[in-house]
Order: sequence, then structure tokens, then C-alpha cells
Amino acid sequence: MSHVDTTHRSGRQHHQAGAAGNAIEVVELSKRFGRTRALREVSFTVPRGGVFGVIGPNGAGKTTIMRALLDIIRPTSGRATVLGEDSRNAGPELRRRIGFLPGELSLEGRITGRRLLQHYADISGPVPRGHIDELAERFHLDLDSHVRTLSRGNKQKLGLVQAFMHNPELLVLDEPTSGLDPLMQQEFLSLVKEVRAGGQTVFLSSHVISEVQQAADVVAILRDGQVVTVAGVEQLRQTAVRHLRMTATGIPPAELAERLERLDGVGGLVCRSLASGATEAVATLEGAIRPFIQAVSTLAVTDLVLEEPDLEESVLGLYSAPAASASPVGPERGGRP
Amino acid sequence: MTTATERRHADSRGDGASTGREYVRRAPVPIFGKAFTDGWRALIGWAVGFGVAAFLYLPLFPSMGASADMQKLVDTMPAALVKSLNYDQIGTGSGYTQATIFGLIGFVLISIASIGWGAAALGGDEESGQLELTLAHGVTRVEVAVQRFAAMALKIVLIAVLAFVLVLILDGPAELKLNVAYLVQTCILFGGLALLCGSAAMLCGALSGRRVWGIGGGAFVAVGGYVFNAIGNQSADLEWLHAFSPYHWAYGNYPLTNGADWTSVLAFYGGSVLAGAATALALRRRDIGV
Repeated sequence: MSHVDTTHRSGRQHHQAGAAGNAIEVVELSKRFGRTRALREVSFTVPRGGVFGVIGPNGAGKTTIMRALLDIIRPTSGRATVLGEDSRNAGPELRRRIGFLPGELSLEGRITGRRLLQHYADISGPVPRGHIDELAERFHLDLDSHVRTLSRGNKQKLGLVQAFMHNPELLVLDEPTSGLDPLMQQEFLSLVKEVRAGGQTVFLSSHVISEVQQAADVVAILRDGQVVTVAGVEQLRQTAVRHLRMTATGIPPAELAERLERLDGVGGLVCRSLASGATEAVATLEGAIRPFIQAVSTLAVTDLVLEEPDLEESVLGLYSAPAASASPVGPERGGRP
Repeated sequence: MTTATERRHADSRGDGASTGREYVRRAPVPIFGKAFTDGWRALIGWAVGFGVAAFLYLPLFPSMGASADMQKLVDTMPAALVKSLNYDQIGTGSGYTQATIFGLIGFVLISIASIGWGAAALGGDEESGQLELTLAHGVTRVEVAVQRFAAMALKIVLIAVLAFVLVLILDGPAELKLNVAYLVQTCILFGGLALLCGSAAMLCGALSGRRVWGIGGGAFVAVGGYVFNAIGNQSADLEWLHAFSPYHWAYGNYPLTNGADWTSVLAFYGGSVLAGAATALALRRRDIGV
């Protein structure tokens, strides 16, 4: 497959160009918009060649950080160093080495995707011949349609092609998978893996934890303009809270409750009898799921739903301020932290 | 296959095209080129509109302005109204052409076009969210502002040239008996006034990041100037308003009859360049898309 070949080729180049140092260094970055403090002394570093994810709810400051890195907005205080240069003083040369996908992607509609990409190729780093077509093919994107006729997902693909086409050393992607169908999300994730293997650095934001888990090595959690924590993905997985719902026959609610309550990480447990005679248990489950599976393995389980951990409830729930924890997070959180 | 060193070299120059085989060719002045070609349909539309106006109005001169009946009619109208409509010199070919084309329908068309272009160039582009992505690429804000200003200026110049050509073509058939040198000068004023309106629109758009403010700023120069001129014409007490009317700077002296006032030419083009520079500075300082 030719696109793989291209990536590896450029990858070697980036390795040799110097994998040393950090791709991004953000130091006490603050930004005010009038009376709103969009960022409060945010600090983190992104090593070269890694995939760094920022997650947080809308309005947490993800987009503001990215815009500051690209010098689209100017920080009130603090600084950001991107690929070794101060973002504030860096000129076009720096931005040629970056691929950027804005969060609220807006593209000109009156021309074809191909012409639009040609325009962005005119003002970005050098684009290898054929690379645009390879990427478009990969995302099943028709470049000869007018942009205005494209669906939201297809516009997003154009934005992604635009960000990746010049094999930039650093990719800054704001909510890259929004609007993409699951198949294309997977394609995007595999592209991210390839460019990382090639030594390119990826800085992406999302409010979907599963996406960040699959793509990123390290995750920063942002809330109200502050970095709440920076953690490895494995670490994050440990703290993630899942929702579970199961039904089993031949066991009364009290007995099921007793069996599940003993387990570490189970919270908000509610057991009740259903009209069918079966017993249903609803709870949250934090950390490893193996003990839970073992505990129910001897039961006559008729239904089991273990939901993907959700950012809103798991991560933010864990790190939210006391006032915020009163907000609805799951049916019952019990006395658990 | 190119070696990594060669590629890196090409990368560091940011100019892959010159290596000849590996990279997509890049346009020399992409922002200007795009801003200019994006509007070509609109430009043709405005040109056609202008042409239609010229071909409708000017051939009527022998039966309108030059006819004794029309002059009688104008004589019966209140003097203030005649002055407001710029009909006081309608009896001559140059007065008629100025009153109908350069001072009225042509002025309206080119003002709308230039204000639209100016307001869209930065304010509209920022409002739509597209400017953010452009500025995230390998361009400076000053480059973007200057090249878009230049694209707007070129479009305005083309309309002014078209105005010259059309009026010149119709000069003989419509028996206007125009002085060609004065026609050139009038077209320079015509384009200059439009450029000032467009520059004001661009500056206000760049300052606010909103298209509507750009339109407001441009319209203030165009419409405000027209109104100040019309009110200033009413009485000697109000004549001081002419000093604040770009419209009066252009046409108060009847350039098609008497030649251009070069101070006005300087004011239009100098003022536009200053507004363009202020636009670049304003854009450089601002947070985009917030």
C-alpha cells in the first residue's frame, strides 16, 4: 500500500531530523477573554514522536490552547514553545512544519475539494506529489465534488487531509474524529499510529475518552481552563468508571447484592427483582473488571451490559470540585469517591 | 527515491517544487491569487451591471439632457432638488455623464461591490471561521492583509478601466463630446472613491472580525459622503459639510468638465493605502476568531 510507504519514508526523515527534545512545551499559559479566564496557568510538555491527548468538556480550554500554539490567539501570560520556537514570535516557517485541524472546521464551499487542498498546499509545507490522492482514497473522499455539497463527515475528512498532507513534524488536531463514522474513526486512528511510528508528533483533543485511549500515549485532563491531571493512558484506564447492568436468574436480589458489594470498585449498587422473576443489578464499576467477571461467572447470567467508560462521568467525576460532584453523575454514586 | 537528507533540505527551504519531481507545485502569491480568482464571477456580474447601466443611460443623452424640453423641465424644478440630484449640469454631455453614471448608478454599483469585497476580505473570512485555518498555515497576517487588499484594489481598478472604455465607446454615438483626458481623470477619481470605501470596509472588518461592521464602515464613507454632499449643496450655511464628503471631493468640482482635483486623488489613494496599512497592523495584533 503506497500510503504506508510514504509515511515510513517521511518518518525516517523525521527521526533523523532530531527526535530529541519536546515538540511542545507549555509553561504557565493563561488566557483571558474579557472577564472570562479561558486558561489558568496551564503547563505541560509533549515529547517528540508521541501522541498526546487533551480531554475535557466543551469550554475547558482545549481549543484555546491549540489556537495559542498556532499563534491564532495570543496568551495573556505564560509561553508556549513549539518545535523549539516560541509560538508568539514564530513566523510562517514554523507553521509550515505543523498540520492543524480547527475544532470548528469551516471550509470554502464554492470550489472543489481538490482546488481547496491545492490552495492550502500553496501556503503550507511541501506536499509530496500524489499524497493528497492517497489520503483522500484512504478516507473514501471524493475530491472533485464541490465542498458545499459534502456532508459534515466528508468536510472533516478534507480538513484531515489538509492537516496530514505535508507530513508535518507536528499535528495539532482539535476534535479530529467529530463527524466521522466509526469506520473512518478507525482509519483515522490507524493513520495516527502510522505517523507516530514515523516519528511525527500528534497533539489531539477530544471529549470522547475511548478515542483518546486508543490513540494517545499520554492524556491531559482539562477542566475550567486548568490541567487537572496528566496521566498515562493505562493509568487513566485504571481510574475509569464503567456502568454495568446485568440480569441473572436463580438468585434473589439480596444474595446478588451481597456477592457484588464485596468487590473493589463497585459503587451505586441497586439490585431488584424483575417481573420475569430474574434479578437485575445496576452499578458502576471502577478499575479492573476481572474480579467482577469471576464473581458472576457461576451465576446464570441472562444479560450483561458493561458500558464503555464515559469521560463526563468517570474522569471528570473523579476530579471535579466538591460543588461540581453534586451534579448528576450516574444514577447513584454511593459513598465512593 | 529521494534521500532523507535531500528531503530535509527541501523542507528547510520550504520549497519542494524546485526539486522538480517530488512535491506539488505551489502558486507564487497564493493569497492574492485566491482572493482575486474567488471573486471573478462577482466581478463579471458587476461589470455586466455597469455595462447595462451605461448602455441604458448614456444613449438617452440626445433626447434627455441635450433637449430643450428637458432643460425646461429641470428649470422648473426647485434649485435645491436639482443640486441634490446633480442635475445642474445635465445639459452638457460631461455633466450628464457625471450625473447619471459616475455620480449615481455607477457610483452605487462600484461602492456596493468594493464594500462587499472589503468587508468579506478579512471580517467576513474571520466570521466564517476560514481565516483561522489560513493563518495556521505558512503565511503572515501582514501578507494576508496586503495581498487581499491588493486583490480588492485590482478588481476596483478593472471596473474603473471598464467604465472608461464603456463611456469612451458611447461618447460618439451618444453625442457626449467628452474630453478624453478628463474622462481618464474622472475614472481615476471614480476608482479612488470606491477604493477608499472598500479600504474602510476592510479596516473595520479587520478591527472587529465581523463582516457587518465592515459593511457599516464602508457604507459610512460612501453613503455618508453622498448625504453630506447633498445637504451641503442646499445652502451656503451647510457648505462646510462638503469638507467631510469624499463624494464631494470626487465630483464637487465636476471633473468630467473641469478635470480632476489632484488633492482628491491623493486623498483617495493615499487614504486607502493608509487604511490598508492600518488593516495589516490591526490584524497583526488581534486574537482571531474569538
